[in-house]
Amino acid sequence: MSLEINVHEQSCRGCELCIDICPTKVFELDEDKRLCVVKHAEDCIACLSCAYICPSNAISHTDYHAVKNFYRDAEFCQRMGKFL
Amino acid sequence: METTNQRRALQDAMVFLGAIASGTEQAIGESANNISYLAGVNLGKKLSDGVARTDDIQQALDSTREVLEKNDYLWLFEPFKTHDQESVVQESEEGTQVMLVFRDCMIRQSLFRFGHIQKGSLCNMMYGFFAGALQNIMGRESSLEIVHAGENACYKKLTVRRAP
Repeated sequence: MSLEINVHEQSCRGCELCIDICPTKVFELDEDKRLCVVKHAEDCIACLSCAYICPSNAISHTDYHAVKNFYRDAEFCQRMGKFL
Repeated sequence: METTNQRRALQDAMVFLGAIASGTEQAIGESANNISYLAGVNLGKKLSDGVARTDDIQQALDSTREVLEKNDYLWLFEPFKTHDQESVVQESEEGTQVMLVFRDCMIRQSLFRFGHIQKGSLCNMMYGFFAGALQNIMGRESSLEIVHAGENACYKKLTVRRAP
């Protein structure tokens, strides 16, 4: 699995919220374009906070591990059954 | 039908867990963190009982992970380093540090199910779990600081204190 992050240039307003929230400093501001760009995609932990906080929905991730909603997953429910 | 009932019961249990955490935090404030921390310590010590001792932090983390997997705890983690770090294991004045990424987490799922905030008392249970397990496995004190609580993963700093 090779995670990719994409910032949609036409959507990005350069608000820098993604830069502020990212715990591993994946993004930086392109001063010329006044847009946020991906600087270190390899440092992304796929917390998805940038995508959630972006007001213009400009950030997308591909090939990442999406957390299991185990309470909706039959196999996990069976494994968790012992806690009930 | 059995699965449907189990799923319903599990969701109820998760909502109940979120409600307890929320209520406890409202009632006793930050002391709620200590309660869930101690619950985590007890759990960590209990589940890691009999695990071989080691001074190597990576081996200790492997053992902790095995303990969680063996007991079907959905609390799996992985050590992580950024591009500018030479090694996963860092030495600092406080002790030996490793950054950990937590992806699938039953606590986070419970909080979202109930609509409760992250970084609350329930998250301290994992801090306690590591403290208890690493006390057994390495014989050393440790802390697990939440650097970032995300929607799909959390980023935490594990510090294992030096032996006195």
